[in-house]
Order: sequence, then C-alpha cells, then structure tokens
Amino acid sequence: MAELVVFYCFAAILVFAAFRVITVRNPVHAALFLVLAFFSSACVWILLEAEFLAIVLVLVYVGAVMVLFLFVVMMLDINLAPLREGFTRYLGLGAAVAVLIVAQLLLVLGSDRFGLERVGAPVRRAADYSNTEELGVLLYTVYAYPFEIAAVVLLVAIIAAISLTMRRRPGIKAQNPAEQVAVRRSDRVRLVKMRSESRR
Amino acid sequence: MLSLPHFLGLGAILFCLSVAGIFLNRKNVIILLMAIELLLLSVNMNFIAFSHFHGDLAGQIFVFFILTVAAAEAAIGLAILVVLFRSRQTINVDDLNTMKG
Amino acid sequence: MPFVTPEFLPALPEILLAVMACLVLLVDLYFGRRHPSWVFLLAQASLVLCALLCIALYPEEPTTTFNGTFRSDGMSAVLKVFMILVTYFVLFYSKFYLDVRDLFKGEYFVLSLFAVLGMMILVSAASLLTLYLGLELMALCLYALVALNRESSMASEAAMKYFVLGALASGTLLYGMSLLYGVTGSLELDRIREYQSVGGEIDIILVLGLVFIVVGVAFKLGAAPFHMWVPDVYEGAPTSVTLFVGTAPKIAAFGMLMRLLVDGLAGVQGDWIEMLTILSVLSMAVGNIIAIAQTNLKRMLAYSTIAHVGFLLLGIIAGTRAGYAASMFYVIVYALMGLGAFGMIIVLGSKGFESDRLDDFRGLNERSPWLAFLVLVLMLSMAGVPPFVGFWAKWSVLREVVAADQVWLATVAVVLAVIGLFYYLRVVRLVYFEEGQEAAPLVCGTDVKVMISTNALAILALGVYPSALLALCVTALG
Repeated sequence: MAELVVFYCFAAILVFAAFRVITVRNPVHAALFLVLAFFSSACVWILLEAEFLAIVLVLVYVGAVMVLFLFVVMMLDINLAPLREGFTRYLGLGAAVAVLIVAQLLLVLGSDRFGLERVGAPVRRAADYSNTEELGVLLYTVYAYPFEIAAVVLLVAIIAAISLTMRRRPGIKAQNPAEQVAVRRSDRVRLVKMRSESRR
Repeated sequence: MLSLPHFLGLGAILFCLSVAGIFLNRKNVIILLMAIELLLLSVNMNFIAFSHFHGDLAGQIFVFFILTVAAAEAAIGLAILVVLFRSRQTINVDDLNTMKG
Repeated sequence: MPFVTPEFLPALPEILLAVMACLVLLVDLYFGRRHPSWVFLLAQASLVLCALLCIALYPEEPTTTFNGTFRSDGMSAVLKVFMILVTYFVLFYSKFYLDVRDLFKGEYFVLSLFAVLGMMILVSAASLLTLYLGLELMALCLYALVALNRESSMASEAAMKYFVLGALASGTLLYGMSLLYGVTGSLELDRIREYQSVGGEIDIILVLGLVFIVVGVAFKLGAAPFHMWVPDVYEGAPTSVTLFVGTAPKIAAFGMLMRLLVDGLAGVQGDWIEMLTILSVLSMAVGNIIAIAQTNLKRMLAYSTIAHVGFLLLGIIAGTRAGYAASMFYVIVYALMGLGAFGMIIVLGSKGFESDRLDDFRGLNERSPWLAFLVLVLMLSMAGVPPFVGFWAKWSVLREVVAADQVWLATVAVVLAVIGLFYYLRVVRLVYFEEGQEAAPLVCGTDVKVMISTNALAILALGVYPSALLALCVTALG
C-alpha cells in the first residue's frame, strides 16, 4: 500500500514535469523541468529495484547530459519571443490527438493481459542482492558484443561533435599542457642578486 | 498492490507527451531535443518495468545501452544545433524555410 | 543465460573494419595535413579487405554467436558485400566532390567507415539490442556527415530535420521493441519467433508492438506517409552525402526489415503484410506523382526513391522466400542505379556549381555524348524500361506479388510505374533534344569518368544477364 502511494506521488511529479518541459516558454526552465522528470523517474526505477540504472540516470543524465543542454542554451543566447508563435495554433489538435493515443494505449496496456494474475508478482530480492554486480557480470560476458558497439558509438559521437563544432580561430588564448609540464624552474624564476639598500 | 499496468500507463503517458511535444514545438529546436530525451525515458520505463516483472535482467541491459546511445545522440544533436545557430543566428525552425517541407 | 565463449571468426569483417576505421582516424591526425590522399586510400583499402573477408567467410550454415546477439548467414554476407561495394564507389565520387570544392576532411572518411560498420552490425543482428545499436551507429554517422559542411546553412538545416525525425523514428521503434520484450520476455529474435509459434492465439500487445516497429522502420526507409524528411535531406545535404544516404543505408534498411519482420515476427505475418501494403501503395503513388512537379534533380530523385521503396516492399508483401529474394534483388539493383544517378550529378558539377537543377542537364549530348548516353542508361533503368536491369527488378517483384494472389496490387504498381516513366523520360528529353544555354565546363578527371562508366555499364550488363544476381539472392536467403 505504501508503495502505491509512493508510486503515485512520483508518477504525478513526473507527468507534471514532462508536461511543463513541452509547454514552458523558456528553454532554461524546460531543461530544469527535464531534470525534475529524470529525478522522479529515477525514484520510480528504485521502486522497480533497478538501483544501478536509477543512479546512472541521475549521475550521467542529470550530471552530464542536462548540463550540456543548459550549457548550449546559455551559449547560444536565443531570442525567445518568436519561438512561441504558432504554439497555440497546433495546441488544440495536438492535445486532442495525444489524449486519444494515451487513451488507446492505456486501454490496451491496462487490460488484464499484464495484470498480476497473468504475469505474476515479481520475486522479492534478498537484502544483500546487488543489482550492480548482476548487471556487470552480464555486461562483460553475455553482452560483450553490444558493449563494444556502444564504445564505437561513443567514439563516433566524440569525432562528430568535435569535427562539427571546433573552429580554429587565430589569436585564441589556450593552454598547452605539454609545455606547462615540461617547464623548468629556469624558465620561470630568475634570481636577481641585489644589495640591500642602506637607510639614508 | 503495484502491477505492470501502472508502469506501462506511466510510460504511455510520457510517450504521448513527448510526441505531442515534438509536434507542438516545431519552432524551437532545443525543446525538440528535450522531447526526444523524454521519448527515450518513456521507453526506458517500459523496459525496466517488464524486466522487473519478468525477473529477467536483459531489459535493464537494454536500458543501459539506450542511455549510452541517448547521450551520444544528445551530443551530436547539440553539435548540429550549434552549427545551425552559427550559420543562421536563430534556431527558429520557421526561419529555416529555404527548403519547402 | 549461461555464458559461452563466443566464436570471433564470423565477426571478423566487423572487427577488421572497426580497427581500420580507428587507424584511418590516427593517420588523419598525424599525416592528414601533408598527405590527405593517404586517408582516402587507406579507407578504400580497408573496404576492399573487408569485402574480401566477407566473401572468404561466406557461411555455409547460418551461425549465431556472441550469445545470441550476432548472426552470420547468406543474407547478411551478400548484403554486406554489396553495401561495401556501394560505399567504395561513394567514397570515390566523394573524393572528387570534396577535392573540387576544397572541403576535403579526414573525418568524412572515418565517419563513412563507421557508418558502414553500423550497417554491417545491423544486417547481422540476431537480437533487438544489436539491431538498435547498429541502426544508431549508422544513423549518428549519417547525421554528422550531412552537417559536415559547416559553411552551408542549408546542409545544417537538413541535418537538423534528419536528426529530429530520425530520433523520433528510433524512439517509436524502441517503444515497439519494449512491447515485444514485454510479451515474449526475450530480446533474441529467434526466441521472439518461437514464442509466437507456441502461443496459439495472437497477442494484441504483440500487434501493438508491431505497429510501432513498422512505423519506425517506415520512417527510416522513407516510405510514405513517413517520407517528409527525404526530399529535404536529399536536397540540403552535400551531393556526395546524398549519394551515400540514398544508397547503402537502403540495403541496410532492407536487412533490418527482414530481421525484424521475417526472422522475428513471422507469427504475425498477416498483420504486417496489411500494414506494408498500405505503405507500399502510398509510397508508389506519392513518389511517382509528386516527382513530376520537381525542378531540382536531387528532389526528383528523392521522390523517385520513395517510389522505389514502395516497389521494394512489394516482394516482402508477397510473403514467400522467392518474394524476399526478389526484394533483395530490387534493393541491390536500386542501390546501383541510385549510385549512378547521384554520381552523375557529382560528375557534372564543379566548384560553386552543383548541377542539380534539371535545366543543368539541358543539351548534355552536345557537351559530352558519352555522359549523355550514360544518363540515358541510368534513367531508363530507373524507369524500368525492358533491356535494363531496373526492368528485371520491377518484373521479379511483380511476378511474386501476382504469385501471391494480389493481382490488384500488381496492377496498381504497374499503373504508377507508367506514370513514373514520364519524369525519367523528361530528363532524357532534356539531355538529347534541348539546346543548352551555356556550356559549363566539365572538370572531372578520367578516373571519375571510368568509375561512372563502370557503374552504368554494370547496369547494362546486369540487364542483359540478370539471372546470376537473382540466383545469388535466392541462394543467399536459402
């Protein structure tokens, strides 16, 4: 029963946040609502005993991807006013279609096909069960091939993002770590011997 | 008692909200990208729910990979957005009308 | 699931290509400035090596390894070889295109190689997971390639459209996959199929999942009514990238369709045949009719692609082994013809001049009778006029549709193909019977001319002797 209350609480926050993401005016607010949505779905995932993924969602998604989003939003200095025009034009039709699809999906998915009688209640794990360990074992054995492909996908993302956005501008001020490491004392400090001045 | 339809319903609502978001925010590319993230979140919700109720970890493994790919996708999407902004000084899709849909 | 140490041998082409792509990246880093052609030559060499390896490792029996995530069979081997062949030509044309416009970048070739790797993973996927990863690897490379020319705002706009609709498509596909997983409790395509053969009555959730999957695949294939991105991306992207997007990924998409529907969802064949029929008729109608109104050749060819996708689906709709083989034949032939047609736009272009308007083809016969003849071959083949291979492709899918008792569908297809004849013949008329306004100089070298001639003559040769390739497709599908 307590689980049900917790679920509805986080589900309500999640749906509200998701709704605000697509309706707010300001992209920064949208990004922050998306962070809220990720947080509350991480909580729902904890209810589903997917602890590792819940933590990863917060660390990687909120920590890295959403920060990237915010960074780009602020870097681009977007003029907000014209972005909202025409929103209401599609609002009625869009909302109607969305509600219709939700109703249909709920009707099909909510049928007793997936009820507890057909699927059965999940097995409760013992307290010392480690979700992370189980996933790790699977990931590096059975799913080693997909794991390697994922590595290639990340490499492609790096190559693409760098070659799309990096510009070589003249006169840019940047550090050269190699030079910084190779620096010697004699390059930086010059000892000057001076005679102390005598007080007049 | 919590059952599968609870989570599937939540996933379905998120899915429709994000698809609606993609169609409503056709002018604002950055919110489009966020709606895509929501879309993947709804799929992840489904996979984790099924994985839990089937007692099978394959669904969670799939989510792990979706998260990885989604991060890569966000990076490339934002890179394209930056390129677009630099060449146009706008991300308003309506100004992007050199080509007719 | 117990862990079995995988056999690496069947996946050797993928492993080789991944290693070579990284090597090309390194060569570009250290020698790219001084010797840009090294990057190109190394990329081409790795493609050739990879194709030879695919042929050498042609599997007698379908093998599944990596714990049910990788499958190597006749279909995957044949599709891989043709994808690599097509990419080899694409990179050759691309080099010329990029050199002339001073756009040469090592990343272009690295990303192309990774895209091919993604396609190879996609066509030999045995589980939903590898299928998704292969698809995304391919798609991410293609998004980046479209945007790679940063000076062109049209290209970045096209990339953005491609990206958003592509991501929406993957999301839809994933939602369908999640439902399949929910019903069957497995990600492996074989297990999913076994579940349906045991089940007896058809599960409504399975059909719901199927709907999402078909919509996702239709987006990726560019079948109407999910085709709106195709003309914009084809027009906006640099022509060399259009060439790539329009050819090799189509072969990969066919492989994906076969894996998902035939390998994975054979139990609900009746349902997906109905859905594909709608997609096919709409695609043929939209493609052939709207293409007539186009003045830009890239846009016209984009609509022609949509129409060809409609035809390609016909063989799968027939629902028999012979039908699938006909579709496979169709997609390979289409990739070769598309290669020639977009390649011709590249060959005729020069710096600051794209040669992608129909008017640019006016009076080509006076400028270069040989190239004009090649255009004639390509256009007639695409239209499906008898001695050329395009005719045999259309004929083989139509024969299978008729054999499956869908005569009405074959009739519709023939009528729409005849309508389509009009716009292909218009290009031929412009080339042969119209005066050119000014003679734009042809800057292409002999090597590019040799390539395009090989390309078009291969179409001619295949038209005279199509049975070898068709027999190859039949044996590959076993």
